[in-house]
Amino acid sequence: MERRIGGLETEFGLVCVRGDGTRALEPEAAARELFKPVVAKGRSSNVFLRNAARLYLDVGSHPEYATAECDDWWELVAQDRAGERLLAELMAQANARFAERGEDARIHLLKNNVDHEGNAFGSHENYLVDRRGEFTRLPRILLPFLVTRQIVTGAGGVVTEADGTSRFVFSRRSDHMFEAVSSATTRTRPLINTRDEPHGDPNRFRRLHVIVGDSTMSEVSTWLRFATTDLVLRLIESGRAADVPELEDTISSIRAVSRDLSGIEPLPLEGGRTASALQVQQRYLDLVAPLARPEEHEVLETWQRALDAVLTGDRSWASRTLDWAIKEKMVGQVAQRHALDLGDPRIERLDLAYHDIDPAQGLHASLQRRGLAPRVLADADVEAARTTAPTSTRAHLRGRFIAAAEDAGVDHVADWTTMRLVRQGAMPVSVMDPFATTSSQVDALIERVRAEGGGQGTNAAHPA
Amino acid sequence: MSQQSLHGSGPSDDENSSEETAAGGQVFASAQGADDLLDEIDSVLESNSEEFVRSFVQKGGQ
Repeated sequence: MERRIGGLETEFGLVCVRGDGTRALEPEAAARELFKPVVAKGRSSNVFLRNAARLYLDVGSHPEYATAECDDWWELVAQDRAGERLLAELMAQANARFAERGEDARIHLLKNNVDHEGNAFGSHENYLVDRRGEFTRLPRILLPFLVTRQIVTGAGGVVTEADGTSRFVFSRRSDHMFEAVSSATTRTRPLINTRDEPHGDPNRFRRLHVIVGDSTMSEVSTWLRFATTDLVLRLIESGRAADVPELEDTISSIRAVSRDLSGIEPLPLEGGRTASALQVQQRYLDLVAPLARPEEHEVLETWQRALDAVLTGDRSWASRTLDWAIKEKMVGQVAQRHALDLGDPRIERLDLAYHDIDPAQGLHASLQRRGLAPRVLADADVEAARTTAPTSTRAHLRGRFIAAAEDAGVDHVADWTTMRLVRQGAMPVSVMDPFATTSSQVDALIERVRAEGGGQGTNAAHPA
Repeated sequence: MSQQSLHGSGPSDDENSSEETAAGGQVFASAQGADDLLDEIDSVLESNSEEFVRSFVQKGGQ
Protein backbone atom coordinates (compact mmCIF):
# COMPACT_ATOMS: atom_id res chain seq x y z
CA MET A 1 0.00 0.00 0.00
CA GLU A 2 1.27 3.46 -0.83
CA ARG A 3 -0.38 4.95 2.22
CA ARG A 4 -0.66 2.64 5.16
CA ILE A 5 -2.76 3.13 8.23
CA GLY A 6 -1.48 1.95 11.57
CA GLY A 7 -2.37 2.19 15.22
CA LEU A 8 -0.77 1.29 18.52
CA GLU A 9 -2.51 -0.28 21.52
CA THR A 10 -0.68 0.04 24.80
CA GLU A 11 -1.57 -1.82 27.98
CA PHE A 12 -0.15 -0.12 31.04
CA GLY A 13 1.04 -1.82 34.17
CA LEU A 14 -0.53 -0.48 37.33
CA VAL A 15 0.66 -0.69 40.90
CA CYS A 16 -0.71 1.10 43.93
CA VAL A 17 1.68 1.25 46.87
CA ARG A 18 2.02 2.76 50.31
CA GLY A 19 4.95 4.93 51.25
CA ASP A 20 6.82 1.83 52.40
CA GLY A 21 6.45 0.19 48.98
CA THR A 22 3.91 -2.42 50.09
CA ARG A 23 0.71 -2.80 48.15
CA ALA A 24 -2.01 -0.35 49.14
CA LEU A 25 -4.74 -1.46 46.74
CA GLU A 26 -5.30 -4.45 44.50
CA PRO A 27 -5.07 -3.60 40.78
CA GLU A 28 -8.87 -3.82 40.38
CA ALA A 29 -9.56 -1.24 43.07
CA ALA A 30 -6.71 1.01 41.91
CA ALA A 31 -7.99 0.89 38.33
CA ARG A 32 -11.49 1.81 39.48
CA GLU A 33 -10.08 4.81 41.31
CA LEU A 34 -8.00 5.78 38.29
CA PHE A 35 -10.98 5.64 35.92
CA LYS A 36 -13.44 7.52 38.15
CA PRO A 37 -13.36 10.72 36.06
CA VAL A 38 -13.69 8.67 32.85
CA VAL A 39 -16.73 6.81 34.13
CA ALA A 40 -18.25 10.01 35.52
CA LYS A 41 -18.02 11.58 32.07
CA GLY A 42 -19.01 8.64 29.91
CA ARG A 43 -20.82 6.25 32.27
CA SER A 44 -18.41 3.63 31.00
CA SER A 45 -14.79 2.61 31.43
CA ASN A 46 -14.59 2.16 27.67
CA VAL A 47 -14.65 5.44 25.78
CA PHE A 48 -13.53 7.09 22.58
CA LEU A 49 -11.90 10.47 23.03
CA ARG A 50 -11.81 13.77 21.16
CA ASN A 51 -8.55 12.72 19.58
CA ALA A 52 -10.41 9.65 18.25
CA ALA A 53 -8.38 7.27 20.42
CA ARG A 54 -9.91 4.61 22.62
CA LEU A 55 -9.33 4.50 26.37
CA TYR A 56 -10.54 1.55 28.41
CA LEU A 57 -9.84 -0.95 31.13
CA ASP A 58 -8.68 -4.26 29.77
CA VAL A 59 -8.63 -7.72 31.30
CA GLY A 60 -6.48 -7.76 34.42
CA SER A 61 -7.27 -4.09 35.18
CA HIS A 62 -4.72 -2.89 32.68
CA PRO A 63 -5.52 0.64 31.54
CA GLU A 64 -5.29 0.52 27.76
CA TYR A 65 -4.96 3.32 25.26
CA ALA A 66 -5.34 2.66 21.54
CA THR A 67 -4.29 5.46 19.21
CA ALA A 68 -6.57 6.54 16.44
CA GLU A 69 -5.79 5.55 12.85
CA CYS A 70 -2.57 7.25 11.73
CA ASP A 71 -0.90 7.29 8.31
CA ASP A 72 2.18 9.20 9.45
CA TRP A 73 4.49 7.58 11.98
CA TRP A 74 5.48 10.78 13.75
CA GLU A 75 1.80 11.54 14.09
CA LEU A 76 1.39 8.09 15.62
CA VAL A 77 4.18 8.76 18.12
CA ALA A 78 2.48 12.05 19.06
CA GLN A 79 -0.86 10.28 19.53
CA ASP A 80 0.83 7.60 21.63
CA ARG A 81 2.62 10.16 23.80
CA ALA A 82 -0.66 12.05 24.17
CA GLY A 83 -2.13 8.88 25.65
CA GLU A 84 0.69 8.73 28.20
CA ARG A 85 -0.04 12.29 29.25
CA LEU A 86 -3.74 11.60 29.51
CA LEU A 87 -3.18 8.61 31.74
CA ALA A 88 -0.53 10.46 33.74
CA GLU A 89 -3.11 13.14 34.41
CA LEU A 90 -5.67 10.57 35.57
CA MET A 91 -2.95 9.11 37.79
CA ALA A 92 -2.16 12.52 39.31
CA GLN A 93 -5.85 13.14 39.97
CA ALA A 94 -6.28 9.74 41.62
CA ASN A 95 -3.21 10.32 43.78
CA ALA A 96 -4.54 13.74 44.77
CA ARG A 97 -7.83 12.10 45.82
CA PHE A 98 -5.92 9.58 47.93
CA ALA A 99 -4.07 12.43 49.59
CA GLU A 100 -7.27 14.38 50.23
CA ARG A 101 -8.79 11.35 51.88
CA GLY A 102 -5.66 10.88 53.93
CA GLU A 103 -4.96 7.47 52.40
CA ASP A 104 -1.39 6.21 52.24
CA ALA A 105 -1.61 5.15 48.60
CA ARG A 106 0.02 6.13 45.35
CA ILE A 107 -0.64 4.77 41.86
CA HIS A 108 2.24 4.26 39.43
CA LEU A 109 1.49 3.59 35.76
CA LEU A 110 4.19 1.68 33.96
CA LYS A 111 4.47 1.58 30.19
CA ASN A 112 6.25 -1.76 30.20
CA ASN A 113 5.39 -5.37 29.43
CA VAL A 114 5.97 -7.63 32.40
CA ASP A 115 5.27 -7.62 36.13
CA HIS A 116 7.34 -9.00 38.99
CA GLU A 117 5.96 -12.52 38.61
CA GLY A 118 6.45 -12.62 34.85
CA ASN A 119 2.86 -11.90 33.83
CA ALA A 120 3.14 -10.24 30.44
CA PHE A 121 1.00 -7.60 28.81
CA GLY A 122 1.27 -5.98 25.50
CA SER A 123 2.06 -3.26 23.09
CA HIS A 124 0.15 -4.25 19.99
CA GLU A 125 0.89 -2.78 16.58
CA ASN A 126 -1.80 -2.78 13.92
CA TYR A 127 -1.15 -2.34 10.23
CA LEU A 128 -3.76 -2.16 7.53
CA VAL A 129 -2.86 -4.48 4.66
CA ASP A 130 -4.53 -5.17 1.37
CA ARG A 131 -6.98 -8.07 1.40
CA ARG A 132 -5.79 -9.07 -2.07
CA GLY A 133 -2.26 -9.78 -0.89
CA GLU A 134 -1.36 -13.31 0.10
CA PHE A 135 -1.56 -13.21 3.87
CA THR A 136 -0.42 -16.83 4.05
CA ARG A 137 2.89 -15.78 2.51
CA LEU A 138 3.24 -12.59 4.48
CA PRO A 139 4.21 -13.99 7.91
CA ARG A 140 6.95 -16.17 6.44
CA ILE A 141 8.66 -13.10 5.02
CA LEU A 142 7.90 -10.84 7.96
CA LEU A 143 8.92 -13.17 10.79
CA PRO A 144 12.73 -13.03 10.43
CA PHE A 145 12.43 -9.24 10.47
CA LEU A 146 10.28 -9.29 13.61
CA VAL A 147 12.58 -11.76 15.36
CA THR A 148 15.65 -9.60 14.79
CA ARG A 149 14.29 -6.03 14.96
CA GLN A 150 14.65 -6.08 18.76
CA ILE A 151 18.33 -5.16 18.27
CA VAL A 152 16.96 -1.83 17.02
CA THR A 153 13.64 -1.30 18.80
CA GLY A 154 13.84 -3.51 21.90
CA ALA A 155 13.20 -1.83 25.25
CA GLY A 156 16.14 -3.63 26.89
CA GLY A 157 16.01 -5.21 30.30
CA VAL A 158 17.39 -7.87 32.59
CA VAL A 159 16.39 -11.52 32.58
CA THR A 160 17.34 -14.18 35.10
CA GLU A 161 18.35 -17.50 33.60
CA ALA A 162 17.51 -20.96 34.89
CA ASP A 163 20.90 -21.16 36.62
CA GLY A 164 20.11 -18.01 38.59
CA THR A 165 22.45 -15.67 36.73
CA SER A 166 21.09 -12.41 35.39
CA ARG A 167 21.95 -10.67 32.17
CA PHE A 168 21.02 -7.65 30.11
CA VAL A 169 18.99 -8.42 26.95
CA PHE A 170 17.53 -6.48 24.04
CA SER A 171 13.97 -7.49 24.87
CA ARG A 172 12.49 -9.28 27.86
CA ARG A 173 9.38 -9.90 25.84
CA SER A 174 11.25 -12.36 23.65
CA ASP A 175 11.00 -14.89 26.48
CA HIS A 176 7.22 -14.51 26.44
CA MET A 177 6.81 -15.59 22.82
CA PHE A 178 5.76 -19.16 22.22
CA GLU A 179 4.54 -19.36 18.64
CA ALA A 180 5.23 -17.64 15.35
CA VAL A 181 1.67 -17.03 14.19
CA SER A 182 -1.58 -17.94 15.91
CA SER A 183 -4.92 -16.68 17.15
CA ALA A 184 -3.82 -16.78 20.81
CA THR A 185 -2.82 -13.70 22.76
CA THR A 186 -2.06 -15.00 26.21
CA ARG A 187 -1.47 -18.68 26.77
CA THR A 188 0.80 -19.42 23.82
CA ARG A 189 1.52 -15.89 22.74
CA PRO A 190 2.59 -15.50 19.08
CA LEU A 191 4.63 -12.81 17.31
CA ILE A 192 1.80 -12.25 14.86
CA ASN A 193 -1.77 -12.66 15.99
CA THR A 194 -4.19 -13.72 13.27
CA ARG A 195 -7.15 -11.82 14.71
CA ASP A 196 -8.52 -10.18 11.61
CA GLU A 197 -10.64 -7.21 12.59
CA PRO A 198 -9.92 -4.73 9.83
CA HIS A 199 -12.34 -2.12 11.26
CA GLY A 200 -13.09 -1.41 7.63
CA ASP A 201 -14.44 -3.02 4.48
CA PRO A 202 -13.37 -6.68 4.88
CA ASN A 203 -13.40 -7.15 1.12
CA ARG A 204 -10.63 -4.59 0.74
CA PHE A 205 -8.65 -4.68 3.95
CA ARG A 206 -7.32 -6.94 6.60
CA ARG A 207 -5.50 -6.19 9.79
CA LEU A 208 -2.00 -7.31 10.58
CA HIS A 209 -1.73 -7.56 14.36
CA VAL A 210 1.91 -7.62 15.50
CA ILE A 211 2.17 -8.38 19.21
CA VAL A 212 5.88 -9.10 19.61
CA GLY A 213 6.92 -5.51 20.29
CA ASP A 214 8.10 -4.02 23.57
CA SER A 215 6.40 -0.92 24.89
CA THR A 216 8.86 1.78 23.95
CA MET A 217 9.48 5.02 25.83
CA SER A 218 11.91 6.59 23.34
CA GLU A 219 10.08 8.50 20.62
CA VAL A 220 12.69 7.29 18.14
CA SER A 221 12.22 3.65 19.14
CA THR A 222 8.44 3.85 18.74
CA TRP A 223 8.79 5.65 15.42
CA LEU A 224 11.28 3.08 14.13
CA ARG A 225 8.98 0.16 15.03
CA PHE A 226 6.33 1.49 12.67
CA ALA A 227 8.49 3.14 10.03
CA THR A 228 10.67 0.06 9.45
CA THR A 229 7.81 -2.46 9.62
CA ASP A 230 5.85 -0.35 7.13
CA LEU A 231 8.79 -0.51 4.70
CA VAL A 232 9.10 -4.28 5.10
CA LEU A 233 5.36 -4.68 4.43
CA ARG A 234 5.81 -2.59 1.29
CA LEU A 235 8.65 -4.89 0.27
CA ILE A 236 6.38 -7.91 0.69
CA GLU A 237 3.58 -6.23 -1.25
CA SER A 238 6.00 -5.34 -4.04
CA GLY A 239 6.69 -9.04 -4.58
CA ARG A 240 10.45 -8.40 -4.34
CA ALA A 241 11.01 -10.13 -1.02
CA ALA A 242 12.18 -13.43 -2.47
CA ASP A 243 15.67 -13.11 -1.02
CA VAL A 244 14.91 -12.81 2.68
CA PRO A 245 16.48 -15.42 4.92
CA GLU A 246 14.12 -17.87 6.58
CA LEU A 247 14.82 -18.84 10.17
CA GLU A 248 14.70 -22.52 11.00
CA ASP A 249 13.20 -21.92 14.45
CA THR A 250 11.45 -18.63 15.19
CA ILE A 251 11.12 -19.06 18.93
CA SER A 252 14.61 -20.29 19.78
CA SER A 253 15.98 -17.59 17.48
CA ILE A 254 14.10 -14.74 19.14
CA ARG A 255 15.47 -15.77 22.52
CA ALA A 256 19.01 -16.13 21.18
CA VAL A 257 18.86 -12.72 19.50
CA SER A 258 17.63 -11.11 22.71
CA ARG A 259 20.69 -12.40 24.59
CA ASP A 260 23.33 -11.69 21.97
CA LEU A 261 24.26 -8.03 22.49
CA SER A 262 26.97 -8.38 19.82
CA GLY A 263 24.36 -9.21 17.17
CA ILE A 264 26.70 -11.65 15.47
CA GLU A 265 25.70 -15.05 16.83
CA PRO A 266 24.72 -17.33 13.91
CA LEU A 267 21.04 -18.25 13.66
CA PRO A 268 20.16 -21.46 11.79
CA LEU A 269 18.33 -20.82 8.51
CA GLU A 270 16.13 -23.11 6.48
CA GLY A 271 18.37 -24.96 4.05
CA GLY A 272 21.31 -25.33 6.44
CA ARG A 273 23.00 -21.92 6.27
CA THR A 274 23.17 -19.40 9.09
CA ALA A 275 22.87 -15.64 9.45
CA SER A 276 23.34 -13.29 12.39
CA ALA A 277 20.68 -10.88 13.63
CA LEU A 278 22.76 -8.04 12.21
CA GLN A 279 22.95 -9.75 8.82
CA VAL A 280 19.21 -10.41 8.76
CA GLN A 281 18.41 -6.80 9.63
CA GLN A 282 20.95 -5.47 7.14
CA ARG A 283 19.41 -7.67 4.44
CA TYR A 284 15.94 -6.22 5.04
CA LEU A 285 17.33 -2.69 5.17
CA ASP A 286 19.14 -3.17 1.85
CA LEU A 287 16.05 -4.70 0.23
CA VAL A 288 13.66 -1.94 1.31
CA ALA A 289 16.05 0.93 0.54
CA PRO A 290 15.03 1.23 -3.14
CA LEU A 291 11.34 1.36 -2.11
CA ALA A 292 11.77 4.25 0.34
CA ARG A 293 10.36 7.60 -0.68
CA PRO A 294 12.65 10.66 -0.41
CA GLU A 295 11.07 11.70 2.89
CA GLU A 296 11.77 8.23 4.26
CA HIS A 297 15.53 8.45 3.93
CA GLU A 298 15.70 9.43 7.56
CA VAL A 299 14.17 6.04 8.38
CA LEU A 300 16.90 4.25 6.44
CA GLU A 301 19.62 6.41 7.95
CA THR A 302 18.41 5.94 11.53
CA TRP A 303 17.92 2.21 11.03
CA GLN A 304 21.49 1.94 9.72
CA ARG A 305 22.86 3.93 12.64
CA ALA A 306 21.07 1.59 15.02
CA LEU A 307 22.60 -1.47 13.36
CA ASP A 308 26.04 0.17 13.36
CA ALA A 309 25.73 0.78 17.11
CA VAL A 310 25.43 -2.97 17.63
CA LEU A 311 28.05 -3.85 15.04
CA THR A 312 30.75 -1.47 16.28
CA GLY A 313 29.86 -1.43 19.97
CA ASP A 314 30.02 2.38 19.78
CA ARG A 315 26.97 3.38 21.82
CA SER A 316 27.54 7.16 21.82
CA TRP A 317 24.48 7.82 19.64
CA ALA A 318 22.34 4.82 20.61
CA SER A 319 22.70 5.33 24.36
CA ARG A 320 20.88 8.65 24.04
CA THR A 321 18.42 7.56 21.40
CA LEU A 322 17.22 3.95 21.58
CA ASP A 323 15.49 2.46 24.60
CA TRP A 324 17.61 -0.65 24.92
CA ALA A 325 20.88 1.28 24.77
CA ILE A 326 19.70 4.07 27.08
CA LYS A 327 18.68 1.43 29.59
CA GLU A 328 21.87 -0.58 29.10
CA LYS A 329 23.87 2.51 30.04
CA MET A 330 21.69 3.32 33.08
CA VAL A 331 21.74 -0.25 34.34
CA GLY A 332 25.51 -0.43 33.83
CA GLN A 333 26.17 2.82 35.68
CA VAL A 334 23.91 2.01 38.61
CA ALA A 335 25.21 -1.55 38.96
CA GLN A 336 28.78 -0.28 38.91
CA ARG A 337 28.14 2.57 41.32
CA HIS A 338 26.74 0.25 43.98
CA ALA A 339 28.47 -2.99 42.96
CA LEU A 340 25.08 -4.62 42.33
CA ASP A 341 24.36 -7.93 40.66
CA LEU A 342 21.94 -7.43 37.76
CA GLY A 343 19.47 -9.65 39.60
CA ASP A 344 19.29 -7.19 42.49
CA PRO A 345 15.75 -5.83 43.11
CA ARG A 346 17.15 -2.32 42.77
CA ILE A 347 17.91 -3.02 39.09
CA GLU A 348 14.33 -4.18 38.56
CA ARG A 349 13.17 -1.01 40.36
CA LEU A 350 15.36 1.03 37.99
CA ASP A 351 13.72 -0.67 35.01
CA LEU A 352 10.25 0.14 36.35
CA ALA A 353 11.29 3.75 37.01
CA TYR A 354 12.37 4.04 33.37
CA HIS A 355 8.87 3.02 32.23
CA ASP A 356 7.01 5.12 34.83
CA ILE A 357 4.93 7.64 32.86
CA ASP A 358 4.83 10.21 35.67
CA PRO A 359 6.19 13.37 33.97
CA ALA A 360 7.74 14.57 37.25
CA GLN A 361 9.09 11.32 38.69
CA GLY A 362 9.52 8.96 35.75
CA LEU A 363 13.13 8.30 34.79
CA HIS A 364 12.56 8.53 31.05
CA ALA A 365 11.05 12.00 31.42
CA SER A 366 14.02 13.02 33.55
CA LEU A 367 16.43 11.72 30.91
CA GLN A 368 14.54 13.70 28.27
CA ARG A 369 14.89 16.88 30.29
CA ARG A 370 18.63 16.28 30.54
CA GLY A 371 19.00 15.62 26.81
CA LEU A 372 19.85 11.97 27.51
CA ALA A 373 16.74 10.57 25.77
CA PRO A 374 15.34 11.88 22.50
CA ARG A 375 12.72 14.57 22.38
CA VAL A 376 11.95 14.81 18.68
CA LEU A 377 8.35 15.95 18.83
CA ALA A 378 7.61 19.49 19.81
CA ASP A 379 5.81 19.64 23.13
CA ALA A 380 2.99 21.55 21.46
CA ASP A 381 2.43 18.68 19.00
CA VAL A 382 2.05 16.13 21.80
CA GLU A 383 -0.24 18.49 23.68
CA ALA A 384 -2.35 19.10 20.56
CA ALA A 385 -2.64 15.35 19.98
CA ARG A 386 -4.51 15.04 23.28
CA THR A 387 -7.50 16.81 21.82
CA THR A 388 -7.00 16.66 18.05
CA ALA A 389 -7.41 13.53 15.96
CA PRO A 390 -5.16 12.80 12.98
CA THR A 391 -6.59 14.76 10.05
CA SER A 392 -5.63 12.45 7.19
CA THR A 393 -7.64 9.34 8.16
CA ARG A 394 -11.13 8.36 9.31
CA ALA A 395 -10.03 9.40 12.80
CA HIS A 396 -10.69 12.97 11.69
CA LEU A 397 -14.42 12.18 11.28
CA ARG A 398 -14.69 10.36 14.61
CA GLY A 399 -12.80 13.15 16.36
CA ARG A 400 -15.10 15.82 14.88
CA PHE A 401 -18.19 13.88 15.91
CA ILE A 402 -17.00 13.28 19.48
CA ALA A 403 -15.79 16.85 19.94
CA ALA A 404 -19.12 18.21 18.66
CA ALA A 405 -21.12 15.87 20.89
CA GLU A 406 -19.03 16.65 23.97
CA ASP A 407 -19.24 20.38 23.36
CA ALA A 408 -23.00 20.20 22.84
CA GLY A 409 -23.48 17.86 25.80
CA VAL A 410 -25.26 15.23 23.71
CA ASP A 411 -25.19 11.52 24.65
CA HIS A 412 -23.36 9.55 22.00
CA VAL A 413 -21.52 6.33 21.32
CA ALA A 414 -18.74 5.52 18.91
CA ASP A 415 -16.47 2.71 17.90
CA TRP A 416 -13.82 2.38 15.20
CA THR A 417 -16.29 2.33 12.31
CA THR A 418 -19.57 3.64 13.73
CA MET A 419 -20.98 6.66 15.53
CA ARG A 420 -24.48 7.48 16.69
CA LEU A 421 -26.50 9.44 19.20
CA VAL A 422 -27.93 7.66 22.22
CA ARG A 423 -31.67 7.82 21.79
CA GLN A 424 -34.44 5.61 20.52
CA GLY A 425 -34.42 5.18 16.79
CA ALA A 426 -31.09 6.99 16.26
CA MET A 427 -29.50 5.63 13.11
CA PRO A 428 -25.80 4.80 13.33
CA VAL A 429 -23.46 6.24 10.72
CA SER A 430 -20.78 3.84 9.56
CA VAL A 431 -17.55 4.78 7.81
CA MET A 432 -16.01 1.63 6.43
CA ASP A 433 -13.12 3.29 4.62
CA PRO A 434 -10.28 4.02 7.10
CA PHE A 435 -8.86 6.51 4.59
CA ALA A 436 -12.05 8.58 4.43
CA THR A 437 -11.73 12.12 5.77
CA THR A 438 -15.02 13.49 4.47
CA SER A 439 -18.56 12.13 4.79
CA SER A 440 -21.82 13.93 4.16
CA GLN A 441 -23.50 11.51 6.57
CA VAL A 442 -21.13 12.44 9.37
CA ASP A 443 -21.58 16.13 8.53
CA ALA A 444 -25.34 15.65 8.84
CA LEU A 445 -24.93 13.80 12.13
CA ILE A 446 -22.80 16.63 13.52
CA GLU A 447 -25.47 19.12 12.43
CA ARG A 448 -28.05 17.17 14.41
CA VAL A 449 -25.72 17.07 17.42
CA ARG A 450 -25.37 20.84 17.35
CA ALA A 451 -29.10 21.34 16.94
CA GLU A 452 -29.73 19.21 20.03
CA GLY A 453 -27.03 20.77 22.21
CA GLY A 454 -27.45 21.76 25.82
CA GLY A 455 -27.62 18.48 27.74
CA GLN A 456 -25.12 16.76 29.99
CA GLY A 457 -23.73 14.40 27.37
CA THR A 458 -22.09 11.07 27.96
CA ASN A 459 -19.62 9.38 25.74
CA ALA A 460 -19.48 5.62 25.79
CA ALA A 461 -17.90 3.25 23.36
CA HIS A 462 -20.01 0.54 21.83
CA PRO A 463 -19.71 -2.67 23.82
CA ALA A 464 -16.65 -4.47 22.47
CA MET B 1 3.88 17.40 11.99
CA SER B 2 6.87 19.43 13.04
CA GLN B 3 9.80 17.71 14.60
CA GLN B 4 13.45 18.27 15.13
CA SER B 5 15.87 16.47 12.93
CA LEU B 6 16.98 13.16 14.40
CA HIS B 7 20.60 13.80 13.60
CA GLY B 8 20.68 17.56 13.51
CA SER B 9 20.72 19.96 16.41
CA GLY B 10 18.81 18.93 19.47
CA PRO B 11 19.35 18.71 23.17
CA SER B 12 21.46 15.59 22.89
CA ASP B 13 23.78 17.01 20.25
CA ASP B 14 24.22 20.20 22.24
CA GLU B 15 25.32 18.13 25.15
CA ASN B 16 27.67 16.18 22.94
CA SER B 17 29.36 19.25 21.50
CA SER B 18 29.79 20.80 24.93
CA GLU B 19 31.54 17.69 26.13
CA GLU B 20 33.82 17.57 23.14
CA THR B 21 34.66 21.16 22.48
CA ALA B 22 33.80 23.35 25.40
CA ALA B 23 36.12 24.59 28.10
CA GLY B 24 36.81 22.66 31.27
CA GLY B 25 34.10 24.39 33.26
CA GLN B 26 31.40 23.05 30.99
CA VAL B 27 32.82 19.57 30.94
CA PHE B 28 32.70 19.68 34.70
CA ALA B 29 29.08 20.87 34.57
CA SER B 30 28.18 17.98 32.31
CA ALA B 31 29.85 15.43 34.56
CA GLN B 32 28.03 16.94 37.49
CA GLY B 33 24.77 16.59 35.53
CA ALA B 34 25.42 12.88 35.20
CA ASP B 35 26.07 12.65 38.94
CA ASP B 36 22.84 14.53 39.60
CA LEU B 37 21.01 11.95 37.57
CA LEU B 38 22.59 9.05 39.43
CA ASP B 39 21.76 10.76 42.73
CA GLU B 40 18.18 11.17 41.56
CA ILE B 41 18.06 7.48 40.65
CA ASP B 42 19.57 6.55 44.00
CA SER B 43 16.81 8.37 45.82
CA VAL B 44 14.27 6.17 43.99
CA LEU B 45 16.22 2.96 44.52
CA GLU B 46 16.88 3.63 48.19
CA SER B 47 13.21 3.88 49.06
CA ASN B 48 11.86 0.37 49.45
CA SER B 49 12.84 -1.00 46.05
CA GLU B 50 12.30 -4.61 46.95
CA GLU B 51 8.82 -4.02 48.40
CA PHE B 52 7.88 -1.91 45.41
CA VAL B 53 8.82 -4.47 42.78
CA ARG B 54 7.11 -7.23 44.77
CA SER B 55 3.92 -5.16 44.89
CA PHE B 56 3.79 -5.02 41.11
CA VAL B 57 1.86 -8.17 40.26
CA GLN B 58 -0.98 -7.96 37.79
CA LYS B 59 -2.40 -11.10 36.35
CA GLY B 60 -4.08 -11.47 33.00
CA GLY B 61 -3.26 -8.97 30.30
CA GLN B 62 -3.63 -8.97 26.51
